[in-house]
Amino acid sequence: MEYALQTTCGTLENMASAANPFSDPLRFERRVPECTIVIFGANGDLTKRKLLPALYRLAHDRRLPETFSIIGNSRTAMTDEAFREKMREAVVEFSEDTEFDAALWERFGKNLYYIAGDMTDPGLYDALAEKAAATKQKNLLFYLSTQPSYYEIVVDGLAHAKLNLSTDGWRRIIVEKPFGHDLASAHKLNTHLQQVFPERETYRIDHYLGKETVQNIFGFRFGNGIFEPLWNRRYINQIQITAAESIGVEGRGAYYQEAGALRDMIQNHLLQVMATIAMEPSAVFESDAVRDERAKLLRSIRIMKPSDVPRFAVAGQYKGFREEEGVNPLAQTDTYAAATFYVDNWRWAGVPFFIRSGKKLPKRVTDIAIQFKAAPLALFGDGSGEPNTRPNLLILRIQPEEGISLRFLSKEPGEGMSLRPVSMDFNYGTSFGERSPSAYETLLLDAMQGDATLYTRQDMVEASWRVIQPILEDWGNRKFPFPNYEPGSWGPAEADAMLGRLGLRWRSS
Amino acid sequence: MSTATLSPERVLRDLQTQWETLAHEEAKSGGVLRACSMTLVIAARNVDDALDARQIAGLLMRVHPSRAIVVHSGKGDFDARVFAECWKPLGRAQQICSEGIEIIAGQGGYAEVARFLVPLRVPDLPVVLWCRGSGPTESTGYHHLYPLADKVIFDTNNVTDADESMRRLRRLHAYGMRVADLHWTRLGGWREVVAHLFDNGFRADEVRSARITYGGDSTSTCGRYMEAWVRSSLPLARVNMEPAYGAGGLESLTMSTPQGDLTVARAENHSLTIKGRGLDYRSGLPSTSEPTLMREELSILGADNVYERVLNA
Repeated sequence: MEYALQTTCGTLENMASAANPFSDPLRFERRVPECTIVIFGANGDLTKRKLLPALYRLAHDRRLPETFSIIGNSRTAMTDEAFREKMREAVVEFSEDTEFDAALWERFGKNLYYIAGDMTDPGLYDALAEKAAATKQKNLLFYLSTQPSYYEIVVDGLAHAKLNLSTDGWRRIIVEKPFGHDLASAHKLNTHLQQVFPERETYRIDHYLGKETVQNIFGFRFGNGIFEPLWNRRYINQIQITAAESIGVEGRGAYYQEAGALRDMIQNHLLQVMATIAMEPSAVFESDAVRDERAKLLRSIRIMKPSDVPRFAVAGQYKGFREEEGVNPLAQTDTYAAATFYVDNWRWAGVPFFIRSGKKLPKRVTDIAIQFKAAPLALFGDGSGEPNTRPNLLILRIQPEEGISLRFLSKEPGEGMSLRPVSMDFNYGTSFGERSPSAYETLLLDAMQGDATLYTRQDMVEASWRVIQPILEDWGNRKFPFPNYEPGSWGPAEADAMLGRLGLRWRSS
Repeated sequence: MSTATLSPERVLRDLQTQWETLAHEEAKSGGVLRACSMTLVIAARNVDDALDARQIAGLLMRVHPSRAIVVHSGKGDFDARVFAECWKPLGRAQQICSEGIEIIAGQGGYAEVARFLVPLRVPDLPVVLWCRGSGPTESTGYHHLYPLADKVIFDTNNVTDADESMRRLRRLHAYGMRVADLHWTRLGGWREVVAHLFDNGFRADEVRSARITYGGDSTSTCGRYMEAWVRSSLPLARVNMEPAYGAGGLESLTMSTPQGDLTVARAENHSLTIKGRGLDYRSGLPSTSEPTLMREELSILGADNVYERVLNA
């Protein structure tokens, strides 16, 4: 019943907006409704480095109502004043491209509140309910920026204090990854969350999806007429998705040794990127329509048989990982993971999707390389007398130099008809000089406005766990001869062999 | 020199040479990226104004890279020269450059300039004409340039007859021209605050009457726009405009509802106060510098339904 009331509120809210005769969407965006965001884990790194700078920037861009407020919680005892000061310092330090505006902070900061307490203590939630009532906001957004082991505890606490229910506003919850550590735990967590918050009010955040360049994949694919006809098995030979980091675990060894690259990057970020690249166009650009298509794609990824895993998935660990602080000297953690996936549908049958992610690789880069089939006949050489049919390559760069490049062959100046590959580049940051909003700005704003398009849904999360579950099980039963790659290299030799068996190789990103 | 001796082809050749020189100079440090999304023709009032216009074009190119063509009626014969506006984003080696052409109208005036400009427009991209610092009643010579443009931007900030300016804008619009007025753009901050009140719970059908107060000697187009905007948004409400004490410009908007009045009023430090019906807060106004206003206007190249509704209200 309570959920039905929430739906009615949401509908009325949308109707009111549609009926606003003063709106001018070409000139200014609709402001988010008045609300309070409650952050669990407010003393943590994510809050300081990402959430507060993102919320401050939204205020700077006049996207938040003046009455917008934040309630932070952690175990550390702190007054409201001390919390404000701490957050002010965080904003000054971590707002990379926004100048600090003292007058703005005065208005923004006075609506920051703090409540100390242990998340396992039911009394915390009663106190929170009182504090939330004092802000006089009808709408509450809960942000779980805590360790995953607290997710269910917090959700139960919110239900205990009836903070998940409202008759005149909405109640939403944002959950940070990881959503479980395997399929079974993800399913259990989802079931638990849904007992307290309906799916439509549950926002599972995958910050990769909030990146402008990942969103631009939609624009690129579905806003242009020339690429989509080529976007299938007839013209595309293979797709490589790379997320490489040049750094190691940087003090996060204890956490990372439990996660590993497959869980930390591929299960969530990179499979979501793959789904965005390979999904069918949705009929409309609306939350459920887009997510339905993404989910459908994730469900179409072929699940590996246990006997396939050694051929189609490669684990690696860089030399020196076991010496990192907090890491077990015998750790079997994958600091590198690569896999070959196939999508069993008409569009992609037979096209391999190679995904790799790792730490201590030669450089920090995330990109998607779409390699087209070569010209059927080499009419021209490459200068050395060899025929040149080097295939066209379309590269979507997600970071650090966000943009799109198309590699094609062009005649070298001078006599003869020698061809040389050239690159046509679009650079996101330089073609649009304006700063791009950070992923957290985009995603927080979306959650406050009730737009879940860029958030993952239960079925998507479980579908992606289902894809990697056989790999997890196989790797869990094996003992790898780690370490097996040098820092600064592109990963273990087995990853090259995985492509080599298909007569292919990794591009050098 | 006249257009007979100075051809558009020569200007285009000069542009090409300029790019080759830039590419050569920057070859070792990351190269040059050529960016262009429109032709921006800027009709400047004089030589000094043309200098300002070039500077603003340089700022605008970061968001709206364009071929900027700055035209002015400086002393001397008809002449044209090319220039480039470049910037290097923080942490990047590559320069991003937009090209520009400065044209002195000379004796032939703007009719001659218009003919000269036809081949200088970048093919297949929109053309925007910015008549700097003037309303349609003052930009008499510029009318030769109107047919070249997909959109013409005026600024009625300093016009003496607001009603006549708006009549002229309406007429141009009726002829099928897409027009814009930076003095309308300046109202954006006010309008945003009012609109957000109605995003967040207030209902338009509750408003029985609206009172706009306006300071200064006479009502400018800004006041007229506000009145037309409120009137067209609240067709059932009584809308009055009243003079007020003050330096000039909009002072307040009060909307009366059965539950009480709601007032948005100008306050110090470039901000507005919002009071009534349980609200009491202050909202900062966005910058109204020319580059900011132009950035907004260059983002709207299609129909601007709200402005057109207000203009014709």
